[in-house]
Amino acid sequence: MIDLFSTTSILGLVLLGTTLGITVGAIPGLTGTMLIALSLPLTFSMEPVSGLVLLVAMYVGAVSGGLISATLLRMPGTPAAIMTTLDGFPMATSGQPGRALGLGVGASLVGGLVSWFALWQLAEPMAELSTKLGPFELFSMVILALAMLAGIGDSTRARGLLAGSLGVLVAMPGMHPASGELRWTFGLTFMNEGFRLIPVLIGMFAIGKILQDVTSKDGKIEEVSGNDSAWVALPVWLSNLFNLVRSSLIGTFIGILPGIGANIGSLAAYMAAKRGSKQPEKFGKGSEEGIIASEAANNATVGGALIPLISLGIPGSVIGAVLLGALIVHGLQPGPLLFRQNPEAVHAIIGTVLVANVMMFIIMVGCAKWIAKLSSIPKKILFPLVTGCCIWGAYALNGMWFDVLVMLLFGIIGWQMEKARLPLAAFVIGFVLAPIAEENLCAGLMASGGSYLPLLSRPISLCLIISAVMLIIWKRKQKESSTDPPQS
Amino acid sequence: MYLPNRKRILFVPFAKLTFIYLIFLTPLLGQFPSKPITVIVPFAAGGGSDVFVRIFQNAIRQNNLCPQPIVIKNIAGAGGTIGSRTARNADPDGHTILCLHDGIYTAEHYGNADWGPADFEPIAATGRSGVVIAVGENSPYTSLDELMQDARDRPYQLVFGTNLGAPNHYSALFLQAGKPNSKFRFTQTGGGAKRLAQLKGGHIDLTGFSVAEYQQFKDTGIEALASLGEERESSFPNLLTAREQDIHATHDLMQFWWAPLNTPHEQISYLQNLLTRAMATQEIQEKFKTLHMDPVIQVGQDLLKTIEDRSKRLQGIVVEKPTTLPPLEWIILGITAICFIFVLKETKSA
Repeated sequence: MIDLFSTTSILGLVLLGTTLGITVGAIPGLTGTMLIALSLPLTFSMEPVSGLVLLVAMYVGAVSGGLISATLLRMPGTPAAIMTTLDGFPMATSGQPGRALGLGVGASLVGGLVSWFALWQLAEPMAELSTKLGPFELFSMVILALAMLAGIGDSTRARGLLAGSLGVLVAMPGMHPASGELRWTFGLTFMNEGFRLIPVLIGMFAIGKILQDVTSKDGKIEEVSGNDSAWVALPVWLSNLFNLVRSSLIGTFIGILPGIGANIGSLAAYMAAKRGSKQPEKFGKGSEEGIIASEAANNATVGGALIPLISLGIPGSVIGAVLLGALIVHGLQPGPLLFRQNPEAVHAIIGTVLVANVMMFIIMVGCAKWIAKLSSIPKKILFPLVTGCCIWGAYALNGMWFDVLVMLLFGIIGWQMEKARLPLAAFVIGFVLAPIAEENLCAGLMASGGSYLPLLSRPISLCLIISAVMLIIWKRKQKESSTDPPQS
Repeated sequence: MYLPNRKRILFVPFAKLTFIYLIFLTPLLGQFPSKPITVIVPFAAGGGSDVFVRIFQNAIRQNNLCPQPIVIKNIAGAGGTIGSRTARNADPDGHTILCLHDGIYTAEHYGNADWGPADFEPIAATGRSGVVIAVGENSPYTSLDELMQDARDRPYQLVFGTNLGAPNHYSALFLQAGKPNSKFRFTQTGGGAKRLAQLKGGHIDLTGFSVAEYQQFKDTGIEALASLGEERESSFPNLLTAREQDIHATHDLMQFWWAPLNTPHEQISYLQNLLTRAMATQEIQEKFKTLHMDPVIQVGQDLLKTIEDRSKRLQGIVVEKPTTLPPLEWIILGITAICFIFVLKETKSA
C-alpha cells in the first residue's frame, strides 16, 4: 500500500480528487455524487487503480467541503453538513469563523481516520454484522432517530414536531417506497418520484436563506466577521476525545447500512453528543461539541460505506454504488473475492481514504484564512452566484425543470418556516427519514404477513424501541425538572 | 464484398446512385445525425443500465462509428417510468432515444405506466442476461423443484424478496405460473445488493439475481437453485434450468433501444446499423464478457418476435397485491394537523 502512494502521479490524483471534491462540496447545489458520476466515464481510459484513487479522493473531499458553506453561509454544501449549520454558523457569526472551520476540519480528519481504521482492520466482521439487521431493526432505528428529533434546534417541542411532520408529509407523494404504487401524484408523471432530496434541501437552506436576507427590512443580517486562527489547540481536542470517538464510531456504523447516508450519521452523532453533553443548552447556539460531532460522523460514513463495498460487494451509499459501477467497468469483480483476486484495488481504496483525509486536513487548514474570506464577498455578488449554482445543480441532477421549480418552491417554504420559527433541520430530517422508515416497516409487514409482533419479538429491534421510548420519557422529565419553563 | 454476379449488376449502379445522393443531396436535406444523439437512461448514473450504455458510448467514440457524439442523459426515478415517459414525448427525429430493459413491459403490466413497448419504435435488443433463483446457504432446499413443491403445499409462507413491479418481481410470478397453485409471499427489498444482504441475514427465503450479480455474490453464503433461461447459462454449466426441474418458467433480461413513435424509418435503420457495428467491436465483446452478458443483437423480424413473445408471456399473469399496508400518508396528515393546532395555540398565547 505504501509503494502505491509513494508515486507522484498517484499522490497527484489524490490531491486533484480531494481539491475538486472540497470545491464541489462547498458549493451549495453541487454534490459529490454529481462530481463522481460525471468523472466516472473519464476514468474508463485510466488504469483501474488510478481511477479508483481519483474517485475515492473526490468522495472524501466532497463530504468534507460541505462544512465550509455550512459554517460561513449557513447553507450546507452537501446534505451531510446540515447539522453543522446549527452550530458552525452561530459560532462564525459570533466572531470566530476560523475556529468554527478549524473544529470542523479537525473533527473531519479524526472521523476519517477512525473509519479508515475500521475499513482496514474490521471490514469483514462489521459487514457480516450489518446483514443481521432486517427491515424491522432498521425501522426501529429510524424511530429512535425520530425520537431524538423533538429536541432539535432552539424552538419549542410543538414547533419541532410540526416541522418534522411537515417534512414527512412532503416525502409522501411519488412512488410508494415499498409497494411501488403511485401516491398523491395527481396523474403527473414528473411527480412519480416525488420531491427529490437535493432540490428540496438546497431550496430550503440556500434559496431560503437568500430570500430571508434579501427581504430583511431592518437590514439586520447576521454577518460573519472576524479573522481568528483556524488552528485549534490540543487541549480542546483532548477534552472532546470521547465525543470525537463516539461520533466517529456512530458515523462508521451508519455508513455501513445500505441506503442510510452521511446526513443521518451526522444527525445521530449530533443528538448523542447533545444528550451526553454537560452543556446541552449551548447546542444550536455555537457549541463546539455540536460541530465536532456532526463533522467527525459525516467523514466517518465514507469509510463505513466502503466496508460492505469491498467485503461483500454491497454499496453502503449512492456514491458507493457508483464506485461499484467503476469496479465492474474496469473488469474487477466486486465481492468477497476482490481481496484475493485484486488486492491492489482494495489497497488503493483503503489507502486513498487515509491519504485523502490527511490531504483534506492540510488543504483546508492551510487555506482556512482564504476560505474564511468567502463570507466577506459582497452579498450582491455572492447571492446571484449561489442562486445560479443552485439552479444549475438542481437542473443537472436529472435534466428536469421540474426539479428547479421544486427548489424555488421550497426556497419560499424555507423562508416562511424560518419566519414562523419552525426548525428547518427537523423538517429535512423528517423528509429524509420518512421513506426509509416506511419502506422498512412495510417490507417487514409484507414478510411477516401483516404482523407487527416482530418489532418487539426481535431482540435488536426491541432494544431500539425501548431506547426510543426511554428517550422521550427522559426528555419530558428533563423538561419538567428544568428551572427554565418551556416557552408557551 | 462478395456478391453473386447477377446481384452485382443491380447493386453497383444502385450503390453509385446512393453515393451521388449522399454527396450532393444530403447537405440540402439535412443529414442524420445532424446533432448529438441523446440516449435517455431512466436510471441513476453509475447503475447497471448506465454502465451498459456508457460502454456503447465509449466503443462508438473510440472506433469513430458516428460523426456526432453520443450523449447520455440520466433521468432516474420511479422504476424508470419518468425517463421512459420523457423519451416517449421527445421529438421523433432519431436524435433522442431510450435504452430500457424488460422494465418497460413490467411497469405497464404492474400499472405504474400507461404506456409500454407499443408506444415506441423498437430499434434493437442488445445483450441478454440470464436470471437465477437463489437461497441462503442454510436453506433446507437443495433444488427448485423441492422449493416449489413446498410453495404449493404451504402457500404464502416462503418469503420472496424483490423490487415490486420490476422484472425481478416477474421472475417470481413466472415461477408461480409454472407450478400451479404455488404461492410466494412477496416483500420489498429493492436492488440486487439489498436483496443479497437480506438473504444472507435470513430475512427472506429466496430471491432472484442476474447472472452477473450472482457471479459477484456467490461466495458470500448464497446458493442458486436454478437458472430461468431456455438453456443453461454458459457461466454456470452445472446449474439446472427451471424447465429441467419441471417448472415451466422462463425469464431473462434484455436491453432494448427505443425511439419515439413515428421516428422515420431511415433514422431507425441508421441507429440499428450503428448499434450493430458497435456490437462487433472488440471493446464491447470484452466488456460483455466481464458483465456476463451474451453479446446478442436483434433487429427487424427477430426483434419484433422477441417483443411479441415478451408481451405474450405477461398475459395471464395476475399480480396479487401484498398485505394491506398501513395508510401512513393519512396518519401523517392527521399528526401534522394536530401539531399545527398546538403551534397555533402556542403562538396565540405568546
